[in-house]
Amino acid sequence: MGAFEYRQAEEIRDTFARHGVRYLFIGMSGAIILGFPDTTQDADLFPERTPANGRALVAGLRELGFSLTDTEAAEIERGKDFVQLKNGPFDLDLVFAPDGIERFEDAWQRRVIVEGFPVCHPDDIIASKVAANRIKDRESLGRLRSFRDYWVGKRKA
Amino acid sequence: MSAESEIQPDWLAEFEAAARRPLAQRFRYAFVRTYKPVLDDARFRSFESMEEYRRWCQDNLPDWLGYGRV
Repeated sequence: MGAFEYRQAEEIRDTFARHGVRYLFIGMSGAIILGFPDTTQDADLFPERTPANGRALVAGLRELGFSLTDTEAAEIERGKDFVQLKNGPFDLDLVFAPDGIERFEDAWQRRVIVEGFPVCHPDDIIASKVAANRIKDRESLGRLRSFRDYWVGKRKA
Repeated sequence: MSAESEIQPDWLAEFEAAARRPLAQRFRYAFVRTYKPVLDDARFRSFESMEEYRRWCQDNLPDWLGYGRV
């Protein structure tokens, strides 16, 4: 499997839009869509945890080519906190309860749209990385905070 | 003093350069693929809680992957 491509992000965006999935790009993949110059390996999505959205999400994932058993589909529909998918055309992490973000609705209200991609606000991306407190995030956090200041400044200009 | 003037000059230059690139090009530069032992060895994993996921990462992944807590 190759690296996650722009074309695949577009397929997520377009397929999920057809199915009415409510989700946000989060994590480093979200930051990159906002313009943060860094590297990452996979895409992280923060879907809303409701039964209807779970069903729409599973339908969208299957249309994208993810091979889900009925049990796996049920776990996604139910919205288990963290689901790691490596059974499709690209790797995808579904984070239904990201550390540091209280409610999906709050993040949704703060979302940023970039070329039709719904993305968490940089403050939410930073909050989730701070709360996760992982070694791999420690080095990038200072630079990410600076990017947030740069990004906010550009939006005001 | 503006926020930009407080940003490390080399980082600011990188942010400015990235802002000039189309999103599709940023994707090409940003997403890389390398094999991650253990993590990449299952087609599906799910965790009831983030705490359970973090604990699994701590207990099962090589330290050098960086998924452990600080």
